[in-house]
Amino acid sequence: MRWELDPNPSPGKVALTYGLFLALTLLALGVLFWAYGVSPLKAYGLLLSPLGDSLGLAEVARRTIPLLLIGSGLALAFRVGFFNIGAEGQLLMGAVGAAYVALFLPSGPWTLVLMFLVGGGLGAFWVGMAAWLRVRFGASEILTTLMQNYLAYYLVVYLVAGPWKGQFVFGFLYTDRFPQEAQLPRLGDTLVHGPTLLLGVLAAVALHLLLFRTPLGFEWRVLGENPQVARYLGLKGGQLLLLAGALSGLLSGFAGVGEVAGIHLRLLEPAQISLGYGFTAILAAWLARGRPLLVLLTAPLLGLILAGGDALKLSLSMPFRVVDVVAGLLLLALIGAEAASRHRLVWRR
Amino acid sequence: MRKLLPLVLVLLGLALGQGDKLKACFIYVGPIGDAGWTYAHDLGRKKAEAALPWLETRYVESVPEAQALPVIDRFVKEGCQVIFATSFGYMEAVLEGAKKYPNVIFAHATGIKRAPNVATYMADFYQVYYLNGLAAGALSKTGKVGYVAAFPIPEVKRHINAFTLGVRAVNPKAQVLVRWINAWYDPAKAREATEALLAQGADVFAFTEDTPTVIQTAAKKGAYSFGHYTPMLKFAPNHVVSGQIVHWDVIYIDFLKRVKEGVYTAKNLENVDYFWLLQHKAVEMGADYGVPINPKHVPLLQKAQMTVGGKKVSVYDRIMALMKDMQSPKPTFDPFTGPIQDRKGMVRIPAGKKATLQELLSMEWAAPGVVGDWPGEPK
Amino acid sequence: MEEALLRAVLFGTPILLASLGALLSERAGVVNLGVEGMMALSALAAFAVAQEAGPALGALAGVGVGMFLGLFLGVFTVSLRANQFVAGLAVAALGLGASGLLGKRYEGVPLAHPLPEEGFALLALGLALALHYLLLGSRFGLYLRSVGENPRAADLFGVNVDGVRYGALGLGGGLVGLAGAYLSLAYRPSWTDGMTSGLGWVAIALVILAAWQPLRAVFGAYFFGLLFFLQFRLQGSVPIPSEAFAAMPYLLVILVLSLSGRTRAPKALGVPFERGR
Repeated sequence: MRWELDPNPSPGKVALTYGLFLALTLLALGVLFWAYGVSPLKAYGLLLSPLGDSLGLAEVARRTIPLLLIGSGLALAFRVGFFNIGAEGQLLMGAVGAAYVALFLPSGPWTLVLMFLVGGGLGAFWVGMAAWLRVRFGASEILTTLMQNYLAYYLVVYLVAGPWKGQFVFGFLYTDRFPQEAQLPRLGDTLVHGPTLLLGVLAAVALHLLLFRTPLGFEWRVLGENPQVARYLGLKGGQLLLLAGALSGLLSGFAGVGEVAGIHLRLLEPAQISLGYGFTAILAAWLARGRPLLVLLTAPLLGLILAGGDALKLSLSMPFRVVDVVAGLLLLALIGAEAASRHRLVWRR
Repeated sequence: MRKLLPLVLVLLGLALGQGDKLKACFIYVGPIGDAGWTYAHDLGRKKAEAALPWLETRYVESVPEAQALPVIDRFVKEGCQVIFATSFGYMEAVLEGAKKYPNVIFAHATGIKRAPNVATYMADFYQVYYLNGLAAGALSKTGKVGYVAAFPIPEVKRHINAFTLGVRAVNPKAQVLVRWINAWYDPAKAREATEALLAQGADVFAFTEDTPTVIQTAAKKGAYSFGHYTPMLKFAPNHVVSGQIVHWDVIYIDFLKRVKEGVYTAKNLENVDYFWLLQHKAVEMGADYGVPINPKHVPLLQKAQMTVGGKKVSVYDRIMALMKDMQSPKPTFDPFTGPIQDRKGMVRIPAGKKATLQELLSMEWAAPGVVGDWPGEPK
Repeated sequence: MEEALLRAVLFGTPILLASLGALLSERAGVVNLGVEGMMALSALAAFAVAQEAGPALGALAGVGVGMFLGLFLGVFTVSLRANQFVAGLAVAALGLGASGLLGKRYEGVPLAHPLPEEGFALLALGLALALHYLLLGSRFGLYLRSVGENPRAADLFGVNVDGVRYGALGLGGGLVGLAGAYLSLAYRPSWTDGMTSGLGWVAIALVILAAWQPLRAVFGAYFFGLLFFLQFRLQGSVPIPSEAFAAMPYLLVILVLSLSGRTRAPKALGVPFERGR
């Protein structure tokens, strides 16, 4: 008996595998809910409830925005072999840049554009340092970008507790509210900031085209697939890496600008700014398997899981950890099914 | 199925009994956890529910600030008539939600801004911290008292200052060494910050963060400590001297009763602000409920002397006298009574004056005796 | 100074144990990003069993749960050949979540009989040495490294690639579990949701800093422990913002990594092994 690659899985088999894994997960979740004294059917309903009304859809969309921006950038970076784990920190740097423009530069119609430029630029610069350390000294970017998250965290704490602390915040850790010109328009009375959502969609499409339809994209893919071949071909690996890394940092920075200019309208305690989007987006990117366009699917999916989990915890007064359990099990089901559908069981040796 | 049946019955009961029950919903900023801020609010919620038969409650934990408005939307949709928001950071969401739902009553903990349907409330510890400071000053042999603090916000600064004033009232040369951990919940940081203070000679500890870590760590080295937010005696029975304990239920029950009686409506909360202290029984000095000072440490405090108005008195008697005064309906003593200078020598409260509520809520200066970094310190 | 060195070791110990666990599976070519969740659930299991049956059994329970989660991760990464990174992150979420849901009634209870931190510290040091010899001096170590470097060749020589990877994940999971047990039985000693507070991620990062060498992991973990302690020891003694001290450990790790030059990861790290290709 062997487990080997199936080169052409039939659509039926793929559907069956996904169905099977999903059923297994629902069963596991059902047992959990039942043990908690909650009707499993009601719980499943709640998980999907965000799809049922405009309020819920807005909640999914709000989480999708940063996941989409960061995720498409990371999908590209991972494809090229640059393992940027520091999107969370780059997002915070984007927020810092946006706050600087909003609070300390004269405001006008250009303010929002400038916020995105400075915020995105800071994000790109931040990851650029890690990329440079990798190219110059061979320092693993997995470690440097992870450590940079903490640096960005403390930078934000320093700013909101010290020099940037607002005059109208009663001593709490906030800057003052951004002026009108520095606030992104929202859809209706939801927290969905439309321009950033649009930017996210554009980013996913643009990066996909860049990666699959241009000579630069070809070089990126070669480098990611096989660095040795890239060297034989005379590609400038360092520059390619830097560029891919910087692009992912730019988009993470944009996400940070969106969060502060669209939702918080000020800079605040770092743990409140992002809600871990920089880490969740890593999942969005990996699930998309190096295709930025697919992030258009995986980001809303993760957004739905998060929003559904929140609906559960709210409606059933369950501990907030229920969100983690639901997310963990569903993720395992997704990648388990994905892997299983690519393989087949052969009954001989 | 057997497990489901009661649930179905309960749901049915709720649907039928909707008419008489008042539905109050709570938004918590952190996980309920084992000791801190949110745990105390949840305890208050449970006690209120047990005390008021016509009350039904719901809660949701770990709600980030940015998510408060969507949570309010959901709660209102599910029929919540009173919404308690338990973090300063919810302020804008609460005010926005209050405008959106003018018939729902909101109450905002640590809040500053009110509206016709938004009240504010707080149970504050500054008096208790002062009393504990007296005990700490008496117990410290090295003259160095350690303080592990979460974030440099006015509430924490006010408490450190009150505590330090107390320490210095007993031992005018004592220092309070402050360490910021920049987190409400991080046991590793709290542990290592305490270790650092121990290494620097601190032998008595107080803190503001959400775990009993400081107490556990101090006790290992034989250092005294003061619990915070909930009774923490059980974590170190020989070393917890006293502490600050909150009773949110006192406020919740009072508020909800008045809502039920029709005294509070969604139109008249503009001036309803609970800033409740010892005299309202919203806070308590204690190592455990009803144990103001750990009996093991009473003799030590009785032996210790301090000077009050030129006369020698025992620290224990002073604590008890002040506590009794501040628990009475019309207290005469207040820790923040001038003249008080900050640690840079600037007069902050002139002689004969008490700090106003406004001054208490926006306190940024550091009292003399506070040693350490102080983000946002006025120039 | 003595104090600082002691803290370096005692706070470095959980990081060291978790690092060793992650290191072991990475040498066999499997990335384990589930460390944080595995530690969290092990800490709970250790605490719960310790309260009922004594701390020694508690520690064993922590190790057992760690091993179980390591093997569970193996089902996805080794047998199913799913994406190791996503599987690991999913296990991290699952472990954290499950510990939070299951552990409610153990919160706010002090541990009756804590274990001495020093004992764990010595054990961790011994385990690091043992792992060093296991990897470099034993037949299993040779198999394990070959599986991590070139699984195809190992397979041709008759090494059971999947079996070795399961073994590495199981043993590594046990070490991670021991780290969790240390936190709830000795370091705190009590249990609360989220008490691992990100140490698992630091441990994963230290594997890279240690260049996949157990003995270097010892220094890396102690170095980090020292810096973590010093941020509070030095805070306030110099007129520098406390946030700058808080950021110092992470900044210095970046510096050390950059100066220590190029290190090489196991060649097959993160790549599922497909026999037929």
